[in-house]
Amino acid sequence: MASPNDIKKGTVINRNGELWMVIDFQRVSPGKGGSFVRTRTKHLQSGKVKEENFKAAENLTFEDVQYKKMQYLFRDGNLYTFMDTQTYEQSSISESEIEDTIPYLKEGLEVKVVMHDGNALTIEPPQKVQYAVAYTEPAVKGDTASGNVLKEAELDNGLKVKVPAFINQGDEILVNTETGAYSERVSK
Amino acid sequence: MRDIGKIIRERQEINDGIRAFFRSRAYLEVETPILVESPGMESNLDPFETVVEVPGGGTFGGRLITSPEYSMKKILGEGIERIFTLTKVFRNQETFGGMHNPEFTMLEWYQAGAEYQACMNETQALLFHLGFKGEIERCRVRDVFLKEAEVDLDFADHAMLKTACKRFDIHTDASDTVSDLFFRLFLDKVEPTFQGRNLFLYDYPVYQASLSQLTHDGLYGQRFELYLNGMELCNGFTELTNALEQRERFQEEARERKLFGKPVYPIDEELLRLLPSLRNPTFGNALGVDRLHMALKGYKQIQDVLLFPAKNLFTH
Repeated sequence: MASPNDIKKGTVINRNGELWMVIDFQRVSPGKGGSFVRTRTKHLQSGKVKEENFKAAENLTFEDVQYKKMQYLFRDGNLYTFMDTQTYEQSSISESEIEDTIPYLKEGLEVKVVMHDGNALTIEPPQKVQYAVAYTEPAVKGDTASGNVLKEAELDNGLKVKVPAFINQGDEILVNTETGAYSERVSK
Repeated sequence: MRDIGKIIRERQEINDGIRAFFRSRAYLEVETPILVESPGMESNLDPFETVVEVPGGGTFGGRLITSPEYSMKKILGEGIERIFTLTKVFRNQETFGGMHNPEFTMLEWYQAGAEYQACMNETQALLFHLGFKGEIERCRVRDVFLKEAEVDLDFADHAMLKTACKRFDIHTDASDTVSDLFFRLFLDKVEPTFQGRNLFLYDYPVYQASLSQLTHDGLYGQRFELYLNGMELCNGFTELTNALEQRERFQEEARERKLFGKPVYPIDEELLRLLPSLRNPTFGNALGVDRLHMALKGYKQIQDVLLFPAKNLFTH
């Protein structure tokens, strides 16, 4: 038995035999009495998302999941294939399970794959991922004065982000995969 | 990429605006301790704990305040009748980011001789003074529950609230109290309707009004909250000034804390000693300044207005 207070992103809750993975949660406190946890969970078979609130004092059943470090290899239709970096074993995950993460994938990227009973359920990318800037317009003179002008850039995996004016084509940058925003330039 | 200079300037403008507003209304700004022995006793709060050591031996349990409330009320008890403070407060077990951060800035103010309706008026005046634009509705908790959850809180007991949860297919637990069932309906049916609206919600059921005077019918506590586009911004009361009743509520909270396996803190006896000296009525309001910054300047997440959000500070 587990407490809703122990819920994290990725926690898998067994609700009457069905597995729901927590994709988002927030602790909320009423003016009085015990706190609650708001959750958004995703049904691991159907992908259906529901919102449910648990009281901190309730008992829940969590399912053990394993996290495996795997490397993204290739896409085939709506299946994405990853390879275990230890055993070289391959697993495929369908598009619907990793929808939010797909824009950040690039060949060779190491991700955490969530496994349950030998099946790959979903993946977690690193918080910051490094990409090369494939295309961006050169900075216009005068734009850089205030230091906070943003421009569009396309990265080596096709991802589009806003970057500061001083970023040039060919630069390596870090992107925050939680917010989708430019984070910093990697010094050469 | 965020513009740190912009956030700093905005916050300075807001703090200056708050101070100017209260000074023009004859409030005194007070400084209150952050490290205390008796922090907030509410059972849903988890204060940070430390040990205060005195040279030559002797230790005290120390806790970081979850709100400056107790110190503020002691100052009121000493006869200072209009006070405000801008202070850091701390709550453990908070999510990093979104609407929460373990350390945040609180504006708290109190006025003797006025009750919560006057406090709502003053809160609204403060917001307009700070440049907030938009209508702010006023709704009784009973009315929104009647409309959105189809229960009448004048009569609703445990069984009726449970039936209402069942009707809306809301998950409940065998251990739920009346207060828990109320909050489940609130989270599921009521609060989501606040998106896109600004409103003062007032007169909470007694079981949701920990430190407030009761309404004349005795069914509700004189408590209000302000929601700006769905975001909870402040929590105000006509304060309880009866020390006996306050002691009972502290003891009840201590029992709840014990039940939840949380540490129980010593009762602040100085507060209880000074409480009867508060004028009746006295209102008080606690307002989250970081969230105010978000609402005034259009930010969506608390980490957008914090120079050092917890997520960047605690990484190992």
